[in-house]
Amino acid sequence: TDKRTKAPPLERPGERRNAEMKRLYGEDAPRIQAMETAMQLNFDRNCDRLQPKYWPVIPLKL
Amino acid sequence: STRFIALCPTSIPASAGEGVGLEEEQRCRSELRERFLRTLIKMTNKPVNFDMYEGVQVQAKFGASDIDVLNFQVSELQTPIGVQKEALLRCQDMISFSFDV
Amino acid sequence: KKMKKKSKPPEWSAYLSKLVNVSAHNNHQYKGWVFTVDPVSASVVLVTFPEENQPRVQVVLGHAVESVEVVKDGNRGNTSRLASIFSSHGATDLST
Repeated sequence: TDKRTKAPPLERPGERRNAEMKRLYGEDAPRIQAMETAMQLNFDRNCDRLQPKYWPVIPLKL
Repeated sequence: STRFIALCPTSIPASAGEGVGLEEEQRCRSELRERFLRTLIKMTNKPVNFDMYEGVQVQAKFGASDIDVLNFQVSELQTPIGVQKEALLRCQDMISFSFDV
Repeated sequence: KKMKKKSKPPEWSAYLSKLVNVSAHNNHQYKGWVFTVDPVSASVVLVTFPEENQPRVQVVLGHAVESVEVVKDGNRGNTSRLASIFSSHGATDLST
């Protein structure tokens, strides 16, 4: 049922991710989730703004 | 998700009566994860040395990581053949990285 | 005392604040005090305190880690020293 995708969990409908976070982190889930979300938003924003390209172009380790 | 499955390798038993063990495990996991996230936050805008596979060593200013720690967004990447102003490094290519605090 | 690849969080927690030797891909060796082991990527965060320099953080990626051996147990002093490096304001105060 759960297909392998490259999309980070953040981009999925929130409910499944919330349940996973709760199971992994228990009472601390909201705090961890907030930190992760902030980090991902930073990453997305920087990538939009700066348009970085992969280096090296071909992965060193396949 | 695949990420979740990877994280829970048989470590959370389905049986009841393990509630205390589960809570302890969650508490430990939270502490470890929070410390790791704080490490990445601390690294923001700092020059970082990367040891990569194939003996490749580069330095760059760290910008941000995605939550799955698959990619790092960096600036002023000093490669053996010159500087790339903006770059993405694959964490799979790295063996280790280091920075001063 | 070697870390297995699929350790649980409580087992990783046992390494916190200890001095360890991490062996990684291609005989790379890293020695330092454990600040954390990321439960998602299994990456190990080590800190060293070079005498005349600022503390240095070394992160060994989980996929490259081959083994972790404890060299020395932690103590209160280095536990709080480690914590202060990563707190939001402590680090700059310490290094000046």
